[in-house]
Parts: sequence; structure tokens; C-alpha cells
Amino acid sequence: MLREKSLIILLLVFMACPAFAADGTKLLREIDRNLSPESYESYRKLINIEPDGKKKEFTLFTVKKGTDKVASVFLAPASEKGRSTLRLGENMWLNIPNVGKPIRITSLQSVVGGVFNNADILQLDYAVEYNVLNVKEESGQYLLQLKAKSKSVAYDQLKIWADKTKRLPTKIECLTEASMLIKTLYFKDVKDFGDGIVRPAVIETDSPLYKGYKSVMIMAKVKKRTFKDEAFTLTFMPNLESLR
Amino acid sequence: MKRFGLIFFLAMLLSVMPSVAGAEENYTFDLSEIEKKPYHFGGYVEARPVLYGLDTHAALYKLRFFDEPDRRALLEANGRMRLEGSYEKNIFRVFARLNTDLQYNDHTHGLERTTFYEAYVSAKPLTSVKIDIGKKTLKWGKGYAWNPVAFADRPKDPDDPEQAMEGYIIASTDFIRSFDGPLKTVSITPVLFPVYDHINSDFGQNNNLNIAGRLYFLFYDTDIDVMFMTGPSRPDRYGFDFSRNLTTNFEIHGEYAWVRNTRKTVLNTAGASEVIEGEAHSFLVGMRYLTSFDLTAIIEFYHNSAGFNREEMKYFYSLVSRGFDAYQITGDWTGLSRAMNLAESGYARQNAMRNYLYVRLSQKEPFNILYFTPSLTCMINTDDLSANIMPEILYTGITNLELRLRAGIITGSGDSEFGEKQNDYRIELRAGYYF
Repeated sequence: MLREKSLIILLLVFMACPAFAADGTKLLREIDRNLSPESYESYRKLINIEPDGKKKEFTLFTVKKGTDKVASVFLAPASEKGRSTLRLGENMWLNIPNVGKPIRITSLQSVVGGVFNNADILQLDYAVEYNVLNVKEESGQYLLQLKAKSKSVAYDQLKIWADKTKRLPTKIECLTEASMLIKTLYFKDVKDFGDGIVRPAVIETDSPLYKGYKSVMIMAKVKKRTFKDEAFTLTFMPNLESLR
Repeated sequence: MKRFGLIFFLAMLLSVMPSVAGAEENYTFDLSEIEKKPYHFGGYVEARPVLYGLDTHAALYKLRFFDEPDRRALLEANGRMRLEGSYEKNIFRVFARLNTDLQYNDHTHGLERTTFYEAYVSAKPLTSVKIDIGKKTLKWGKGYAWNPVAFADRPKDPDDPEQAMEGYIIASTDFIRSFDGPLKTVSITPVLFPVYDHINSDFGQNNNLNIAGRLYFLFYDTDIDVMFMTGPSRPDRYGFDFSRNLTTNFEIHGEYAWVRNTRKTVLNTAGASEVIEGEAHSFLVGMRYLTSFDLTAIIEFYHNSAGFNREEMKYFYSLVSRGFDAYQITGDWTGLSRAMNLAESGYARQNAMRNYLYVRLSQKEPFNILYFTPSLTCMINTDDLSANIMPEILYTGITNLELRLRAGIITGSGDSEFGEKQNDYRIELRAGYYF
């Protein structure tokens, strides 16, 4: 009798787990869609702030299509103007107008210096790169624990704290395989960009690896827009600004 | 007059430098910053003083300073100004980049060269089609220091491969198609390359229209290009290149070029010049690796079968030495003059021999010093084991200002390529400002 009860309990646990993971995946997809439409254009300002308060700013125009295509072109400062980055799935390239042809770059490098790396700047949907291990409720928020689907993803684990009603992230911790904290992203200033897009307009980040340094990303003019696939190619990279 | 020009240029450079103090302000996103204008104007100014420590025993010193046999050092002031502008209307865009180089030293005195690096009109009727006509760089190839497949471009400077280059006058079209599946992108770039009086006349045989082309694929996450150039101005050439990330922090690339019927002027054992004809094969294999502590390593090996071998270089150095001695003793100019002609025909060009190894290590922001990048670059001639070792530090912490301090230290015995360069060392500071 006891053995039967144990078996039933065990069966129920096994049945519950995939259901919970499925809910977690659904929740993560909702968070992704609330952060941005699947295909969109936006303007971003990145600000690197040093411990003494000194700042360096970069302005980018970014376009995204589907789950695996994203491209950005720098509009300012003058030293960076015209530089463009492209991501197709796990492939990333940087095109520097003077240097010439696009060169392959890696997700952990940073084309702007500071705490944001290329994976942060050319961010794909979280659900594309991560599996949901676990969803909990903590202090009135969801806490999603994610694990990278492959070794090629910049951070092995993510912890996402998300607002329960808005289903938008408030904080994300990025961790290594050994659970060492690499950086924390703070999502602030939820704003209505129009056309149903309501999302945080400011993302701040700090890192124990860069003590005292902070980077900020400010979003503007986030708009649904579709693009031809050809806009996300190496040959098109020098012309990305023409999409504005 | 040239000296006045240089002083004027430096004064302009100082006048456009930003005020560093008081640069702090609140971070805001003013939407007027991203308003698209149909026109754009920008530029770059640079001051670059260089100190050369000269090697009075070296062949290339004797060739350049034959009239100053005991000179130990040369201080040179270099300046550069690049102005660029563009205008867009409907599907059309006009772009021009004008470059001025200034140089002053007490040996050659002032030099000035102003030229359009690029000046072209583009039409983009569709996202997948673009037509360019005018002066333009095509930038083919995947190598960092060398690009043997850049058939329609000028050779880049391997000591400073990130410098802007002057283009050629061409007409080209890009056709792009994207697909789902392992073949993600295909693009085709046909190029018309005219060579006439006043149009690309330094490229090769005049009064000809040459044709080039490139076919690009992104196939199984690998960039692959196949290219060719054919026409009467230069021997026909064919090549391919590839690039692929093996992991997120490890990239490999390569290039191969085959040139039919190259011609090379060489000195034979008897000391006479002769023209050798034959096929040439050149290839490059390289990698880019990023460590967990942000050290980027770029390593490339370059082979050029059309380069000179050790014996051919030794005959040349010997000719220079004999010519120099004859000039010093008797004032006879014949030998030196002949050596200078041979130097121009190829012996004194950069990387004139056959096999080279390029290693560049750069550490991003060590000790958490933002925008500070120290690097070490080694260019090694693997035929004679001579080398040029270049440590440098780069600081980009002030918006639009780039400061680079760099040294170049030559190692190599007499009769080796780098050992016979005019310098033992060089130190240069480059201050560049973008506006």
C-alpha cells in the first residue's frame, strides 16, 4: 500500500515538472514579447559611467527580425559613426567603415567598452537562448531561473525577476556555469512607446568585475517594423543606416 | 610654404580638440540627436610625430641617406586631415572622402598630398540591390594584416592595417538574396574596372576595361567568398576566402589567390636584372582568439610565391652596398641609381619576401582601466627570422579623441629583410580627433 502511494506521488511529481517548465517557457516568451515586438526598430543610447563620474556615450539605431536576426549601426559619437554590428543566430560581425570588410566578433567582447558586451547590445529573445529550469514567486515577483541551451551563449545562467502583472523584467542576474555573478541588469522607467509597446526605457548594469563602473542603455522610438531578410547580411552592413 | 602649412594644420588640430574638463552632464536622450538629415559632414585630424633611430649600416638607409652617411636619428612631423560628406535623396546617395597627408623632416623637407580616397554615387532601388559608380574601396578578403584576394584594392599597410585606404574608380553592383536553411545568404558583386589616362592609370596597362567579381555565401555558419579579376591591365587572378567561428571566442580565416603569368624583375647571380614570368600562388591562414581575461590574439601566416627569396634579396643588398661605396669614394651614381630602380620595382616594398608570421596580442582594459588597450605586434619574416616588434598603448577614453603611443624595434642580422631596414627603432605618437 505504502509502495503504491509512493509511486503515485512520484508519478505526480514527474507529471508536474514538465507542466511547470512549460509554464515557465510560456512566461519567458511573454516577457520577451513584452520587451519588444518580434520585428522592430529602435534607437538606443549607451552610457558608460566611470567611478569618477566621467561618461562616454554612444547612440545606435537597431533593427531586429524574427528570432535570430539583429543589426545595429552607430550614429554617434563621430569616432564610431557608421560602425555596424550584425547578429545571425550565433554569428556576430563588426563592420568598421575605414577598416573595410566585416570581421567576426564574439559575444563576450564589447564593441563599446564598459560593462555591456556584444551579447547585451545584440540581444536575441531570452527564450531563443535559454531553457527555463524553475519559476518561483519571491517578494511579489516571479523569479525565473534559466540555463543556456548551448555553450555558445554568453551567460550560462540567468536569474530573471519579473513583475507579476506587467510581465516585464525588473532585474536580471547573469551568472557563469559555476554560478559566479558576472553582471546585474536593472530595468527601470516603464514607458508607453505606442502601438501596444510598454516596456522599461532604461536598463542599468553593474558588475563585480568592474567595481564602481556602471553602464546605462536608454531606449527611444521602439516601433514595430518588418524588414527584408537581405537587410541582415554582411553585404548590406555598410548600408544599415539607410533603413532609418 | 610647406612648413607654414604644417603649422597651420597643427593649430587647427588644437583648435578642434574638445575641452576635457567639465565634460560631465546628465544622461538624457534628446530625440533631436537621432533626427535623420539628408546630409552628413564629418572628418578626422591627426598629428603624428615620429622619431626614427637610424641604422647607418643598413641597405635601405644607404639607399635613402646616401648623401648623409652618418645620420643617427630623424625626427619627422606628420599630419593628416580627412573630410567626408554625404547627401541622400530618394534612392540615391553621394559620398566623398578627401584625404590630405602632410610630412616634414629636415631630410626631405615638406611633402603634401591631397586626394579623394573615395567619391562615388550609389543607387539602392531595393534592399537587395545596390549600384555604386565612382572611386571606392572594395575591401575583399578576410585577413587582418594581408589580403592576397583584394584584387581591386591597393595593398594595405600590414604595420597599420586599420588605416583608411584610397580606392579605385569602378562601377559595381551588389545583389543579395537570403534563404532559410544552411545556406543563409548569397550575394554577387560584379565590378567594372577601367584603366585609362587619368582613371586608375597606376593600376596597370592603360586603355583597358577590366572585369572583376565576387560571389559570397554564408553557408553552415561559414563566410565563403570566391573572386576573380580579368582584363588586359594585369594578369588574370582568381581566389577564395573563408571565415568561421569555431566557438564564441575562436575564429579562423583564410585566403588563397592564384595569379597567372606574373612578372618579376630580379637580380641574377651575375648581378644582372632579368624579368621572370610564371604563376604565383599566395595564401593566408589566420585565427582570432579571445581569452577569458580579454586578451585578443590575432595570428596569421602569409605565403607569397611571387616574393623574393633570400638569395635574390642578398644580391640586391650587395648591389646597394657597392653602389653606396662607389658613390662615397668616387661620386659615381650608377650603382645606386640602378638599386633605386630595383627598389621601386619591388625589392623595397613591404613584405617583399615569401613567408611571414604576424602575431598581435591586445589586452582590453587591463586593471579595469576603461578604454585603455596595450598591444604587442610582431611581424616575423620566417625565411630569415628577422622581425619588427611593435609594442603600443591606445587610449580612447575621451570622446572622439584617440591617443596611440607606439614603438617599432627591428631585430635581424645583416642581409635579412628587417635587418636591412633604415631604422633600428622608431617611436611615434598619434593623436587623432574625429568630428
